Amino acid sequence: MAGPLSGTATERTEAATPPVAAPAPRRAAAAALGAGVVLAKRALMLAVLLAAVFAAVELLPGDAASATSDRGESAADAAARRRLLGLDRPVWERFLDWMTALPTGDLGTSARGEHVTDLLSAPFPNTLLLGGTAFAATLATALALGCWAALRPGGPVDRIVNVTSGITLALPEFVVSVGLLLPLSLWTGWLPAVTLTAPDGAPASWTMLVMPVLALTVPQAGWNARIVRGALADQAGAPHVSAARLDGLSPRRVLLRHALPGAWPAIATGAATSTGMLLGGAVVVETLFNYPGLGTVLAGAVSDRDTPVIAGVVACTGAVISLVLLCADVIRARTLGARP
Amino acid sequence: MSSAALTPARAPRARARVLLAVAPGALLTLLALTGPLFAPRPMDEPVTAPYAPPGTAALLGGDQLGRDVLSRMLHGGSALIGSALAVAVTVTAVAAVLGCFAVLSPTVGRLVERGADIAILLPPVLGMMLLALAWPGGGRFAVMAAALALGVPYAVRVVASAAAPVAASGFVEAAAAGGERLWHLALREVLPNLRATVLALFGLRFVAAVYVISMAGFLQLGPRPPAADWALMIRENAPGALLNPWAVVAPSLAIGLLAVSVNLAADALTPAARRAAAGT
Repeated sequence: MAGPLSGTATERTEAATPPVAAPAPRRAAAAALGAGVVLAKRALMLAVLLAAVFAAVELLPGDAASATSDRGESAADAAARRRLLGLDRPVWERFLDWMTALPTGDLGTSARGEHVTDLLSAPFPNTLLLGGTAFAATLATALALGCWAALRPGGPVDRIVNVTSGITLALPEFVVSVGLLLPLSLWTGWLPAVTLTAPDGAPASWTMLVMPVLALTVPQAGWNARIVRGALADQAGAPHVSAARLDGLSPRRVLLRHALPGAWPAIATGAATSTGMLLGGAVVVETLFNYPGLGTVLAGAVSDRDTPVIAGVVACTGAVISLVLLCADVIRARTLGARP
Repeated sequence: MSSAALTPARAPRARARVLLAVAPGALLTLLALTGPLFAPRPMDEPVTAPYAPPGTAALLGGDQLGRDVLSRMLHGGSALIGSALAVAVTVTAVAAVLGCFAVLSPTVGRLVERGADIAILLPPVLGMMLLALAWPGGGRFAVMAAALALGVPYAVRVVASAAAPVAASGFVEAAAAGGERLWHLALREVLPNLRATVLALFGLRFVAAVYVISMAGFLQLGPRPPAADWALMIRENAPGALLNPWAVVAPSLAIGLLAVSVNLAADALTPAARRAAAGT
């Protein structure tokens, strides 16, 4: 379990040291250098993760050639295919080949001889659409609920938001899915229970996105609403917020103009760590709703022991998560830079 | 910790409230662990028609093979909760020890920090699929191993952030200057001061483990079909949800209730340590 339930708001301060009061050109150069270092760091982490995935798949018994062999195939055929797939070469050599081809957009060849890029080109955008919509819905819901609750600390809204978020954030996505599927689809027939695929590989209708997105959003919105509420509570005690309140500004204005800006870093970090949960949950929700995304590809690839496909999926999701974490870093650096 | 020590007058009431919040989770866990004793029917034999609606033969109806849903429900929780508990205990113990070492030794600290940074790039479900399906026959143990590997990096980070101020305090420095060895400093000087954090961490890791292990059951990675597992039951009986909704609703409710009540308990354990430790 990655994000939500594991103390995610632990501050990481590495990227948050902007140079103070340097001349403008030098400051720009330093900022560019800093950005480059942060980017390189994130890329390096991704590379280490991919190496670990390669090693994990290699260390386990069986390999792609035997996992994809047809019934009645002789041992010699399997050995020939193993040679064809390059499985007789040492793992680090294949990993280096794969990594050096990565920057050109080449994700290698699967055990069944297809290009991994082709294999992922249709499902990956679908999963991104599902996860992205859920991310936007999560952020909007969490911000709205968190701010609403923060307007009257200890009031009925605050307590209701606190309790409901506590209930929803622990629910696995597939349980939420069942809770939605039965009333909204099977009993009333309002929404389609199964995703049908249009000729271009995308879901045939937007109504097929509603339930998967809701199933992903409900737990994550609960978690993020708590982070928003907590960050706003921390800001409420800050001197400039108390000053604004003492100046007689309306609570709404104090909240939106004075407390919220300072709360952005914590909110961004929380939302960024939700990305992994959203993408992971998407894989599960996809199987339940038969959604044409990475989940199906991945299930097949893992049972085939198809290292390039698995590494490709991990690379894609890892890149997305790195990008979102990078955005959170930028938001934190900007906020802290504006108010040193 | 310190806040609890500073307000002794309110301690009994706070304790009662914590007990009240922990009770549902503990009760449900106890019920699930002793469930097989109450099962009215055999778990793995057909007693009624496939997807039969609730009736006298089976109180919650039949599943896809006509087996008694109620009996399977009563059998299905113990393994899920048992493995989640085992994972939570192990993750918490490993993290507690590693976290203490991490603040005392900069090398371990850097390793832990980097490990957690890298682990965040791998969604838990992906990591679990990798480990569980790539270790054929690993079944429940493969899932537990995956849950362990995925849980430890974050848990260590939580312990380390709580342990940092303790490690910098005078008595630890005095002990270090006195020539005590690293393991003595970690286990005898630092760890005993982190009881609240470790307790809260255990609650959160239990929630997380229930999530990961039920997810694996749903994806059919852990327990194999003849086994009764709540998450697996949902997956197996989904096609017949219209004929006998209880075959799907009952296990969903059970997992939902378990997740929520365990989370409420974890929440109740957290406040004292929250400010200092988790930073949320």
